[in-house]
Amino acid sequence: MSETATLERRLANYRAALAERPRTSAAPPRRSSVVAATLLADAVGGEVVTASDGSYVRVEAAGHDVAIDRDRLARLPGMPPAAVPLVCLDTETTGLSTGAGTLAFLVGLGWWGDGRFRQVQYLLPDEADEGALLDAIHRQIPADAWLVTYNGRSFDWPLLVARYRQGGRAAPPHAGHLDLLPVVRRLFRHRMENARLKTVETALLGIHRHEDVEGWEIPGRYLGFLRGGPAAPLVQIVEHNDEDVRSLARVLALLETAYADPAVRATAPSGDLAGLARSFAEQGRLVEALECLETAVSRDIVVRPRVILRWDDHGVRVERPGGGGPDRDRIESAHARLLRRLGRHQEAAAVWFAIAERGGSLSVRSHIEIAKIREHVDRDHHAALRAAIRADRLLSSAWHGLHSDALRRDLDRRLRRLRRRTERAAAATRDRGRQGVPAPRAEHQPAERGRPGRSASWATRST
Amino acid sequence: MRTYAPASAEAVLERLLEEPSLARGVVHHERIPARAAVTAPLPAWLDERIVAGLAARGIGSLYSHQAEAIEAVHAGEDVVVVTPTASGKTLCYTLPVLQALADDPSSRALFLFPTKALGQDQVAEFGELAIASSLSISAATYDGDTPAPIRSAIRTAGQVVVTNPDMLHSAILPHHTKWFQLFEQVRVIVIDELHTYRGVYGSHVANVLRRLLRLCRHYGSDPIIVCASATIGNPAELAAQLTGRPARLIDQNGAPRGERHILLVDPPVLDPSTGARTSALTHAQRWALPFLRAGRQTIVFGRARVAVEILLTGLREALREHLGPRSRIRGYRGGYLPTERRSIERGLRDGEILGVVSTNALELGVDIGSLDVSILAGYPGSVAATWQQLGRAGRRLEPSVGILVANASPVDQYVIHHPEFLLQGSPEEARIDPDNLHILLAHLQCATFERPFDAGDVFGPGPVDDLLAFIAEEGHIRQAGDGRWYWSSENFPASEVSLRSAAPENVVIIDTSLDRPRVLGEVDLFSAQVLVHERAIYIHESVQYHVDRLEWGERKAYVHRVDIDHYTYANRAVTLKPLDVFAESAATGGRRIHGEVMVASLVTLFKKLKFGTDENVGWGPIDLPELELQTTAYWLTAESAAEGWRRDDLDVALLGAGRAIQAVAAVLLMVDPRDLGLVTQVRSPHQEAPTIYLYEAVPGGVGLSERLYGRHDELIAGALGLIAECSCDGGCPACTGARADPRVDAKALARRLLEALCGVNPKTRPPESTVLAESATG
Repeated sequence: MSETATLERRLANYRAALAERPRTSAAPPRRSSVVAATLLADAVGGEVVTASDGSYVRVEAAGHDVAIDRDRLARLPGMPPAAVPLVCLDTETTGLSTGAGTLAFLVGLGWWGDGRFRQVQYLLPDEADEGALLDAIHRQIPADAWLVTYNGRSFDWPLLVARYRQGGRAAPPHAGHLDLLPVVRRLFRHRMENARLKTVETALLGIHRHEDVEGWEIPGRYLGFLRGGPAAPLVQIVEHNDEDVRSLARVLALLETAYADPAVRATAPSGDLAGLARSFAEQGRLVEALECLETAVSRDIVVRPRVILRWDDHGVRVERPGGGGPDRDRIESAHARLLRRLGRHQEAAAVWFAIAERGGSLSVRSHIEIAKIREHVDRDHHAALRAAIRADRLLSSAWHGLHSDALRRDLDRRLRRLRRRTERAAAATRDRGRQGVPAPRAEHQPAERGRPGRSASWATRST
Repeated sequence: MRTYAPASAEAVLERLLEEPSLARGVVHHERIPARAAVTAPLPAWLDERIVAGLAARGIGSLYSHQAEAIEAVHAGEDVVVVTPTASGKTLCYTLPVLQALADDPSSRALFLFPTKALGQDQVAEFGELAIASSLSISAATYDGDTPAPIRSAIRTAGQVVVTNPDMLHSAILPHHTKWFQLFEQVRVIVIDELHTYRGVYGSHVANVLRRLLRLCRHYGSDPIIVCASATIGNPAELAAQLTGRPARLIDQNGAPRGERHILLVDPPVLDPSTGARTSALTHAQRWALPFLRAGRQTIVFGRARVAVEILLTGLREALREHLGPRSRIRGYRGGYLPTERRSIERGLRDGEILGVVSTNALELGVDIGSLDVSILAGYPGSVAATWQQLGRAGRRLEPSVGILVANASPVDQYVIHHPEFLLQGSPEEARIDPDNLHILLAHLQCATFERPFDAGDVFGPGPVDDLLAFIAEEGHIRQAGDGRWYWSSENFPASEVSLRSAAPENVVIIDTSLDRPRVLGEVDLFSAQVLVHERAIYIHESVQYHVDRLEWGERKAYVHRVDIDHYTYANRAVTLKPLDVFAESAATGGRRIHGEVMVASLVTLFKKLKFGTDENVGWGPIDLPELELQTTAYWLTAESAAEGWRRDDLDVALLGAGRAIQAVAAVLLMVDPRDLGLVTQVRSPHQEAPTIYLYEAVPGGVGLSERLYGRHDELIAGALGLIAECSCDGGCPACTGARADPRVDAKALARRLLEALCGVNPKTRPPESTVLAESATG
């Protein structure tokens, strides 16, 4: 018996065995791609576009007024240059994996043209039409454009690249990619429950979606349509995607209006400014970073327990306690580190001292930082030792909170070194007392430093 | 006998053979003469940098098999290299890969190893040769331990990617668009330890390779496949089944070897009425000690972790009493950290470590150099594994000694009494069935996820439209407007397919010994009944686990690590119904048949059996629902062979003969006897004749039964030999199984039936008397 013949018989026997059990679903009826496209277009209010290798549904919305001053936006760290075109992009997919079998069945794009924010969406009526859809998207993305996405660096764009490659096509070239998720996390996460785009809308943009489709429902609704189901459940998905794309523009507008101008951002919450300062500092823009931090620490900072604002199902504002995020200690320690980077060691020491005085969870770290400054900048080993001992006492007490083993090891090393140095200095003084020799200058002994790599970079930065 | 002075392995062996209590157990002593190297010059086309790199490592010429392999690959042929341990097999694939990369640095190669440890060893070795050849080549392992940032670098720039079938299945193939550089440029695919890809796992791997080659075709590459295997009966056939294309067999070993002594040892029977023997562990220890005391590097293999611990303790204890080199004896097993393993391997290579007691963790190609003596406490389950373990001893110049000590199991006994099995060409075959319906359907889903199928596309045996339509009924794939089949589900199919199991539904085994519960593995429902019922001892990579809880509804078994001296064996009550006959023909005394069957299995109790002696030390009940298994089977009827027999006698004879056939079948097809279920029926309602069924304990089967059907005559002759040569009185666990009734001579009955099935005694006659004298059993 040939192999295929056996296989056929096995399948038949297997089917027979299964027939005794209830089947989950019947084979779906096949529907032509053109029929599917027409159904889809009618339901979502779009038009069917037919290209050489398939059809897709195009939905164009009326433009929206989302004004944005690109020059001002460009002043913020990590933002696109003023001259480049921006293309906001968001996809809806048949799964969460970026593997080769996940489809992007709806791609929404948005860009500024003629002073308005314009949006277009491309919908896939049938898997066979994917080539036409991908070509259409390609045409909408200029090669010099920056993409603007939300988590698009790790999800939407790699998935689209996989789709292009799967179809034997090159992915659209573009000049840059601004993923707003890390930006939002850094600036606003401290006052939000999570960093989902929907939460951003409620917490930052004052927008509340009604009857929005949940993310987990989306693949099922589309796959149901592919299997011959109705197109109506996709209407909400199209609206959802349309809102998502527009929110990308709104977040950009928020950043530009409320944070680009130093005078305007001076009224922003301290936590936002601390986040912004980090972004400035990463780009070496230390002066702007310092300005943000000085503003942040110049006024009362909301300290823990903090409150997170959210809205319940009826749009009523509710408050609930939240955790994490920057408080006064954290923002001040960022301030102190920045002062150190700027070589303003004594000011840094003063800030560390203030943090230590408050006795919060960062006080051990603050004493250690003071010890570093006393040892390496002031070359006052006795003062350094005193600071280190204070840190040691705190660390050994029960209530100081969580500290890593690394901190303990670092401190022990520091204590040993400082004790050795002070004792040696004392012995030398005694010897000189007997021999009447003048005291030599304190020797610079880099080899004895605790962690050479770190100390070295610390020393370079402090010059 | 106490030997403290250093002596050669041969001298120690001579003295041991003069010791009557040891010499009595030696069933066979083979002297394999020393063999000189057969060499060939390095091929002229080999890149001069590689020639220099080889020279730097002291290699100026190749062994004949290496030269043959790389010439064949150079000429574009797929090859399968089959040569013993330590014969320089690795160069057979590293040289062609280095050459391909020297010719064109944009080339890629993919190495597949069955385990992570082997893969990491090979990367290190490959890297050294590349550096010696002053070729800058990025070779990296891509496995579960690879950190995320490095993964993306390997995807885009890794010239040699070393991975295992599981990673290929779940991480590389489904994400092929991110690996396009590899798929476009892959020139060579290396599959080492080919013989480990058998049974369910091999059938899965064959389908993973079908998916791999399908994607290579899509990306326009046509890689050469180089397989390397231990000695098995059908390496070329296995390679062809796994890769779907013919390969040239290279099995003429050109490596030199010193003289070798191979001893097959059967521990003497202590009590002929029960067949009780000295345990292989105790006996192996007696053989090992004199070699260790004489300063000979010795490795002793035990089958389970607990066996290793018993041996290790025993050896250290004995050496302490006699002031031997106690601290130079080490244990080695799976689960050791890589650094520990490296230090033991290094210790063995430089002679610092004298003796090692190991599980089969060392069986595969890890490099420990060559030792003087290798002793196997129990047959490791296949001829291939036996040679890999014996091959650990084998100096190039001095004589070495390999000793196989049998356990009291029928498989061990069969092998030990058939020296020709081990010594004259392996008769065992690695079987797979890549077209097992469940496995094929699972991989068709994965393949559809990876790329849609065109109508009429071939995957495996032929066009797969019918199968795709069948899957479409479940809704996971869909035929789109263009007639192609697309993945149409939000699930990620590769994560739902375990390469270790054929069934769609599995029990997940969760280890709770650690701080955080960890998934150990999966078993299909049918195996779960007997392997992970509550209070079972589940053995995974030679480590024992106690099953604390089996949540049948949730398909989860919770286990924790233990070290105890027994294992469990669950009794399956089985009813069997033939569904379809694929092949049938007349045989001596009856008929032989290959077909499909439905097996209903109920497991009601388990026994606790002691390691080594298989002594029953307790039992317990099992409360699990009945299961049905649709699978393939081989069966034989004995209508004329059993004519005129008394029903009771026939019952005993069928069961005894069946057990012996089961043992021989396990040997021939390299499987655990538990992989083949046995059912005997004095009068089968379906065959209307006395029938012995061997069914595959895997849904759909993996091709074992078809092959058993083909080797029917060998099975009967082998079973007859096993029973005839057993030194027990009237049946024992080593031949016909433990005796149910001490007054019945199961051995004689089974032997007569098998003789009739063999045609040894053409005049079939019913036995005169089967009741032994009461005095014989006391």
